[in-house]
Amino acid sequence: MSAPNEDNTQLSSHFFGDLLDSIIVDVASECHRIAKVGLDRNLEEEEEELRLSAQARASVADPSNSGEANNKYVVDIFGQTHPPVANEIFKCMNCGRSIAAGRFAPHLEKCMGKGRKARLKVTRSSTAAQNQYSRGSPVSTYSSYTNSTSTSRLSNGTPGFAGEEYSNGTYEGEP
Amino acid sequence: MKHSVNRPPTPDGAEDQGKEPTLQEIINIKLIESGEKERLMELLRERLIECGWKDEMKALCRAYIKKKGRNNVTMDDLVHLITPKGRASIPDSIKTELLQRISSFLTSAAL
Repeated sequence: MSAPNEDNTQLSSHFFGDLLDSIIVDVASECHRIAKVGLDRNLEEEEEELRLSAQARASVADPSNSGEANNKYVVDIFGQTHPPVANEIFKCMNCGRSIAAGRFAPHLEKCMGKGRKARLKVTRSSTAAQNQYSRGSPVSTYSSYTNSTSTSRLSNGTPGFAGEEYSNGTYEGEP
Repeated sequence: MKHSVNRPPTPDGAEDQGKEPTLQEIINIKLIESGEKERLMELLRERLIECGWKDEMKALCRAYIKKKGRNNVTMDDLVHLITPKGRASIPDSIKTELLQRISSFLTSAAL
């Protein structure tokens, strides 16, 4: 006895909805976790950065800064003065945001350089060039990186998977 | 664990006696036991990531979290936020593909 077509479609829709609900809950829980643990480009940091960037831009635009203690205007041989904060605005090649040149280095530090947050960001965006960058670092606490680093270590002394010789004392188990 | 002396008897056997498992439940069990449910979930997850649906939902969540402040957001909020928009923005091709697979599983399982 085969089920009539309408039943079939209705059942299929029901199960599809079921699957979809599970996935929605997964996505929500992932976002919730990231928000609570503060992994995803810490929002306060971002706001702080935006604030400082805007502040830098404002202080550059404001011509009456010469009297203040924290601004040193150096006069070069052509008689030009350089503003304390570089006023050009660039687009960051990593995250695509507009950053003032004077704030660019600290921004890049957060965006690319600092350990966990930046590396997580890089693996998510999955650009091959950047992956190679981050895998070059010697101390790696993530097991997902061991595949590429362990093969390079094995090639130093042991031919193939001898299993007994450890190059650094820890055996990243390869079945 | 101490039970109170006057505790009413546990209604056991309710599953066997009154309710037959519904067709839905039977199929659900078959889906899970055969591993098909897991495969379908993975397929759907993959398709939704490919088409950017997951990123859209994450962006919605992030915007909401930013507005509310990260310590004021509950899982429930996010689920209620995403569910209507999520269900509505599934691309038709993906929906069709999954429905077809489920449907063929149903016909093969009914035999």
